Amino acid sequence: MHRVSNTVLAAPVIALRGVGKTYHFGNQSTEAIDGIDLTIERGSFVSIIGPSGSGKSTLLQIVAGLLEPSGGEILFHGRPVTGPPPGMIYVFQQYEKSILPWRTVAHNVALGIEDRPDISRAECRDRCARYLELVGLAGVADRYPRQLSGGMQQRVAIARALVCEPDVLLMDEPFSAVDALTRAALQDLLLEVRERLGITVLFVTHDVDEAVYLSTHVVALTRAPARIDNSVAIELPYPRDQITTRESEPFIAYRHRLLSRVLAQQSSGAA
Amino acid sequence: MKLLRSRLLGVILIIALLGLWEIVTDTKLVHSPSLPPVSAILVDWVRLLINGTLIAQLGPSLERIAFGYVAAVLVGVTIGLAMGYYRVAYNLLEPLTELLRPIPSPAYIPLAIIFLGLGDEMKIFVVFFACIFPILLNTYSGVSAIDPVQLNTARTFRLTRAQTVRKIVLPAALPSILTGMRISVGLALIVVVIAEMVASNTGIGAFILNAQRFFNVTDMYAGIFTLALLGYALNALFLRAEAHLLRYRAR
Repeated sequence: MHRVSNTVLAAPVIALRGVGKTYHFGNQSTEAIDGIDLTIERGSFVSIIGPSGSGKSTLLQIVAGLLEPSGGEILFHGRPVTGPPPGMIYVFQQYEKSILPWRTVAHNVALGIEDRPDISRAECRDRCARYLELVGLAGVADRYPRQLSGGMQQRVAIARALVCEPDVLLMDEPFSAVDALTRAALQDLLLEVRERLGITVLFVTHDVDEAVYLSTHVVALTRAPARIDNSVAIELPYPRDQITTRESEPFIAYRHRLLSRVLAQQSSGAA
Repeated sequence: MKLLRSRLLGVILIIALLGLWEIVTDTKLVHSPSLPPVSAILVDWVRLLINGTLIAQLGPSLERIAFGYVAAVLVGVTIGLAMGYYRVAYNLLEPLTELLRPIPSPAYIPLAIIFLGLGDEMKIFVVFFACIFPILLNTYSGVSAIDPVQLNTARTFRLTRAQTVRKIVLPAALPSILTGMRISVGLALIVVVIAEMVASNTGIGAFILNAQRFFNVTDMYAGIFTLALLGYALNALFLRAEAHLLRYRAR
């Protein structure tokens, strides 16, 4: 069992026990995930990396309750996940689809809370405004997504998730479709709001640098059928800095170690 | 030239054609009681508008269209939604739809008369039946083309099934639904006129047919012109509404 934690006493928010996934196509079957045990402690930022096609996104969708595992179980606050549970929001890679084009930015952000009986209309409006402010989008609340850049659209998706005040954010390569500078800005935004709100993040990326830069723990998967190849606690201080952190010796050492594992996995499957 | 790139060009063509019509009839180049001069038709048209005849005839037609069309929208969107959302509904209804859809609407007017008589019910039904298929099929295709990411977005935000339909499925399918609805507006107009010609004393279709039967040729043309304008107006109105509803697509 890979236990990733900052402090020994921290309570696990999410626990994966022998999670496996097999896809069936006609009479053929493909094993995508072999049986993964993983514990995620409150407040940690765990990134899952692995070679392409290693089932990272599949694993994240299973944790989210969006996909049923073929075996094993996921516990969220100790309760088995059978569908998307309250307190956990999934942020999609395809923000241009996930952000609803017919809703304005403010109405997109309201999606998860607008019908909650415990939140009044005025409260909903205030809360949306607050989180739009937090992600730096206060000025475009009344625009439609089409009128925004990709980076801004992904900020909308983040605000929309945060407004629900979840315990856990599940993020599937959220920054892979934006340019490098925007990505750096979004990474820092994510670290800042995580720090401020104390949320736990489970993050999937194919970018080892990104994983090391953001995370408290990085979990490297093998190629399919995915197992945990390596789990590394990233002991770099927060707040992190795009220049100094990335140039620091420990960062480079983590990067070296993880990248070589991922590349080895990738090439062992390539030929 | 700027004119060549503007829609004014098409308006000029229409005016030119009407002018040509006027000239060939005024000069007796074409001399037939079947083709009176445009000016005579326009004078008669204005008379019919002022004395209320045309309004009185349009009223019943528009009423039949409205009832049949609204019913077709409600039923068509509901069934299309069910077919797009539930595989069972699709398997159950798709063959029937494909069998009923190709029947040209005038063909079931006699049948509708047998069951519903010669009154408004028959015409409303015929409009309904002609209008439902484009709406149903376009709704179905819109719903079935929804991106799984949008449905998963609904799931991660824990929307109920009803909320998912209202907030995700219907808005996502709206462009398709509106396409079907616009096709059906045109069909409604065609079908109501046919039904009124087959069995009615009221409505614009009956008016045109009666005018022809009693050799009121200018009345007949006035009726046809009225339909042209009505069709144009309904379509223009629809495009305005569509542009407003889909304004989020503008940059």
